[in-house]
Amino acid sequence: MHIAVCIKQILDPEISPRAFKINREAKLAEQAGASLVIGPFDLNALEVAIQLKEKHGAKVTVLTFGEEKAQDALRRALAMGADEAVLVAGDGAASREPSVTAKVLAAAIRQLEPVDLVLCGRQSGEWDYGQVPGLLAEELGLPLVPFVPRLDVSGDGFRLERESDAGNVVVEAPKGLVVSITNAQDNNPRLPKVRDIMMANRKPIKKLGAADLGLDEASASASAGRLEVLDLFIPEVDSECEFVEGDDGAEKAANLVKKLLERKVI
Amino acid sequence: MDFLLNDEQRQIVEMVRELAKEKVAPYAAQWDAEERFPHELVEVFAEAGLLGLAVPEEYGGLGAHPLTRVAVIEELAKVDASAALLVAVQDLGMTPILVGASEEQKARWLPKFASGEWLSAFGLTEPGAGSDPGGMVMRARREGDEYVLNGTKIFISNGSVAHGVTVFARTDPDSRGPKGITAFFVEKGTPGFTAVPMKGKLGLRASDTAELVFENCRIPAANRLGEEGEGFSIAMKTLDRSRPNIAAQALGVAQGAFDYALGYIQERQQFGRPVASFQGLQFMLAEMATEIEAARGLTYQAAIRVHEEGKDGARLVTANRYSAMAKMYATDVAMRVTTDAVQLLGGYGIMRDYPVERMMRDAKIFQIYEGTNQIQKIVIARSFLGGAKG
Repeated sequence: MHIAVCIKQILDPEISPRAFKINREAKLAEQAGASLVIGPFDLNALEVAIQLKEKHGAKVTVLTFGEEKAQDALRRALAMGADEAVLVAGDGAASREPSVTAKVLAAAIRQLEPVDLVLCGRQSGEWDYGQVPGLLAEELGLPLVPFVPRLDVSGDGFRLERESDAGNVVVEAPKGLVVSITNAQDNNPRLPKVRDIMMANRKPIKKLGAADLGLDEASASASAGRLEVLDLFIPEVDSECEFVEGDDGAEKAANLVKKLLERKVI
Repeated sequence: MDFLLNDEQRQIVEMVRELAKEKVAPYAAQWDAEERFPHELVEVFAEAGLLGLAVPEEYGGLGAHPLTRVAVIEELAKVDASAALLVAVQDLGMTPILVGASEEQKARWLPKFASGEWLSAFGLTEPGAGSDPGGMVMRARREGDEYVLNGTKIFISNGSVAHGVTVFARTDPDSRGPKGITAFFVEKGTPGFTAVPMKGKLGLRASDTAELVFENCRIPAANRLGEEGEGFSIAMKTLDRSRPNIAAQALGVAQGAFDYALGYIQERQQFGRPVASFQGLQFMLAEMATEIEAARGLTYQAAIRVHEEGKDGARLVTANRYSAMAKMYATDVAMRVTTDAVQLLGGYGIMRDYPVERMMRDAKIFQIYEGTNQIQKIVIARSFLGGAKG
């Protein structure tokens, strides 16, 4: 079994709100002192792939579309247990555009030995468009099962649990599909061990450019994007405190209701 | 100084940061309050590979560079100095084996330390021999294929939880000072060897400290490290190499206290604005940050020099100066920075609900153990003056 896992390197979403800054001109979050990490749902996807490998035996190839520094994310994935890593070089702006990301990743996956399963996190954890899994399935001409917390091999294909508004749905699918993974207790990502980190640094990372994928430079760059960010800002949150007056509890409660009605809260 | 770390070292530090956040930080205050050694952490650290960092790969360890070990200890100490000490003492306790044991002995003991199945400890200090280890009185008497140990070691970190302790004793009863001292490896459970936990410490309360009592304790002669009379040299070679780890522990605590205080003063309002907007506090912050960076520079440099000079297990000459400087400076910085961090938190700073109170208590011992800072000054001065005394 060959599993491809698509990951994205993002700004650590757990930095303190105080440390989070954006550059409004560039319409980008500033890295400043924050570290770059693998998106949280991508980590869940990696964990699912590694658990499948441990249970059934599989080769896990991890792919990312990003800048040179995204190699750190691939190294982490290798340390967690992935077998091979592919970096498709692209500038930061290009990898922010879901349709471009999907096109590039699809081209890279087509170059791998045949893949039985493609896993993605359900959304990146930063811009959170959540579009890449669907667009990637479209590009590859494969079915998509979204929002999957767990799956296992079943017969010649897979048995998957899918979260939906009405509850969890269990589906079966033949090999050759794209799955977007959501978080669950049993796909909590493992921490690599020191030895695994050391071994991961001795493995090669395959680097590809647009030309290697048979794509022209323009179609793998931000200029191919159809998405335009008009503005980016941190909303100002004002808070004020007002003590509700009244002689006793009942009067205070009545005054509180009055104020809430005035402000159309209730 | 992060630029001194390579990719692999940065990745290891990131992993340790996540591990510490999940498995150490939430419990550090509780372990401290209960003065309890967290046995559960041993398994977590062993699994992650943190207890076998110093063991060469041929003995099942990771053969990590001293700078990697320093960076790991620093990262752990940012949240809990006691947890960091667990790793530092594992390193300290097995270093006499690395620098003084035969190949056969290394193959016998090191794999157990590498896997974390065994914890180690280093037994040098005695009730009457602290800064002057040459004043030790513990005796080791040869009887056939055995040695009989009698005496007491005190303030031994990991002493009651370690599975193997390296101890130093006098094999020549007529000797004085550093001469006539020999190193031995003693396994836990050897008849005549008792480890008694010492309670009631100011800081590092989640670390194990014990008194080791040897009463006619018989150990095989095969457990002697090096030759008779080489013990003092083995002890000094060990301390030459371990000092950067203590500097790293102090550095981590200082950084942890600084980070906490930095966040606090930006939130805390007085006179209608965050207290961080007052220049008096900004000056404190600037001094703390600069001292921490300077300490990091010395500590990382010492680790790199120890690696370069210490490869063949020799006594360090130049690196020794820097490891003493790093130990002295970083631990003094930790004391000042944690004290200032408490100051920045005002009244809340002395409350146990805030971690800086624990950090300040933890910092004090750094200036004392593994050679007091006064002893470090002697080491530094003698590195310039040769053997000159006085």
